[in-house]
Amino acid sequence: MNHDAWLAALAGELRRHGVGPDLTGHVVAEAATHLRDSGESPLRVFGQPEAYARAVADSLGGPDLRPPPRQPGPVRLEARGISKRYRRQRVLDRVDLTVRAGQIAAVVGANGSGKSTFLRVCAGLVSPDAGTVRVHGTLGYCPQEGGTTEFLDPDEHFVLVGAGRELSRADARRAGRAHATALDWRPSAGTQARHLSGGTRQKLNLVLARLGEPDVLLLDEPYQGFDRGTYLDFWHEVWRWRDAGKAIVVVTHLLNQLDRVDIVLDLTSAREPVA
Amino acid sequence: MTKTLTVAEAALRELLRRRSVLLILLLLPLAFYLSRRGDHLGQSIRFVCLGLGWALSTAALFAGSAARGIEPRLRLSGYRSRHLVVGRLLALWAVGLLLSAPYFVLIRLDQHDVRYGAIALIMLLMVVVAAPFGLVLSAVLPRELEGTLVLLTVVGLQMIMDPASSSSRVLPFWFSREIGTYAIDHTDAGYLNRGLGQGIAFGVVLTALFALAASVRLRQRGHLRVSPR
Amino acid sequence: MPGVDAERRAQWLRGVLDLAVLALLARGESYGYELSQALKASGLGTVQGGTLYPVLLRLQRAGLVNAHWREGASGPARKYYRISAAGSEALRAAATDWTAFAGSVGAILREVPKP
Repeated sequence: MNHDAWLAALAGELRRHGVGPDLTGHVVAEAATHLRDSGESPLRVFGQPEAYARAVADSLGGPDLRPPPRQPGPVRLEARGISKRYRRQRVLDRVDLTVRAGQIAAVVGANGSGKSTFLRVCAGLVSPDAGTVRVHGTLGYCPQEGGTTEFLDPDEHFVLVGAGRELSRADARRAGRAHATALDWRPSAGTQARHLSGGTRQKLNLVLARLGEPDVLLLDEPYQGFDRGTYLDFWHEVWRWRDAGKAIVVVTHLLNQLDRVDIVLDLTSAREPVA
Repeated sequence: MTKTLTVAEAALRELLRRRSVLLILLLLPLAFYLSRRGDHLGQSIRFVCLGLGWALSTAALFAGSAARGIEPRLRLSGYRSRHLVVGRLLALWAVGLLLSAPYFVLIRLDQHDVRYGAIALIMLLMVVVAAPFGLVLSAVLPRELEGTLVLLTVVGLQMIMDPASSSSRVLPFWFSREIGTYAIDHTDAGYLNRGLGQGIAFGVVLTALFALAASVRLRQRGHLRVSPR
Repeated sequence: MPGVDAERRAQWLRGVLDLAVLALLARGESYGYELSQALKASGLGTVQGGTLYPVLLRLQRAGLVNAHWREGASGPARKYYRISAAGSEALRAAATDWTAFAGSVGAILREVPKP
């Protein structure tokens, strides 16, 4: 591993370990200077980027996991009495959910419990049998699949979706690339979506949902195909969006992040066969 | 306008990147043309026009199906369904003109004693009608296979049915046979007028149907109220 | 058994590295690479950056050293560390403790009969 690659990896790992951007810059710059002075290999001096980042984070007393207590903002998403059945199966039964600016709601439940259906109802893509959804602000939606198109490259996706949000070409590309960097992804021009790996395509999907800074973000299991590092990046991003005052709804079947969200909507019990 | 053009540009890029499909589309009318080139020059013109219609409506069918995944997202990202409809049609019409141009040149060089202006008109109407025809099929049929079979049936019937019979007028490409007779056999302007009328009517109706199907599929559902913050 | 010896030395060093670094900084401000060279010169062996910088961060966070970036006369900007008043205080107290501790250990070890 050459110096630059090692330093870049270190920067990524520091971020993953919850080290803030300023300190990350200092630690990386200091390591770079040391390597130039000593002329030795980074692996010999500092070890693996992941291990060194962990040591740095530990020396700070661990990552700062809990953001300071926040005052939630005004209501952004309000779903009332959502019911939906497919054939004889009642999928959603009078489901309520209110999410305010600066809150994360996790929608959990077993397979087939209607998590995706609920999100699609919130996005207005599926009509419920009963109930209403009110959205105060703009809506961003990251579908589980199908949010990208095969024959366009990432930049063309940014421009296409960005134009809907009144972004100029340059602004859309810049915003898309910035959001991609936060997920540890540098989109290469000319690579069509059909040639991207599943995880990378999902990053594209997620970045598109973020374009134009919508007030409400609906994310349907957006981390499928992510490796562990990217998965952590994803949650760090979600917390950052929350701190920026977004209202976020995440469909998930992974429960280990639930202590770090504000609202949990469990749909498991809503499912019962209709007599 | 920016939104419509952005959709058109993206759709055009997607179409032009399906290289193998494009090549087949480009060569298919040529095969039609050459099949009757030896024995019946006039027939070869009628066939190449039908071949163009078939090629373009097939391209439209596949483009329409491929776009289904991302269209809801685009709708949510601030597009209206008219942006998506017009943008996609513009791209397909442009591709249709691109496909037709070399065949018009071919006929101009290879055939004599025909009305070239009328042949250009057939090709133009073909492009106008075939694009929304394929898109309508993609909107109402769940899978591409069904759409392909319908197109095959329509073009096959168009080839074998007597254009003089009134029942063949319900076929979308009937105008090409009628104006073709005017162009090749130098018949009176009645053929031209009837063909022109039918072609324009089909173009308008199919475009309206496609717009309607898209606006229904991508409508803002009644249960959702979005208000500015 | 050199492996065991090395492991024991590493353990000793872990216990006193922060004090050694503080003591070096008491001589004057310095930066990471220079500190690692100074540690080596004083016979403590090679302390790699992966060990040294987290110690410096911990000292900084505890307020025992201050740090600032400065352009060198030649070469890139470096992060210089300087011992704070609290650091000098802590160093004095720890030095007294250590002398007592090392004296006690030395006294016991001196009783071991020489071969």
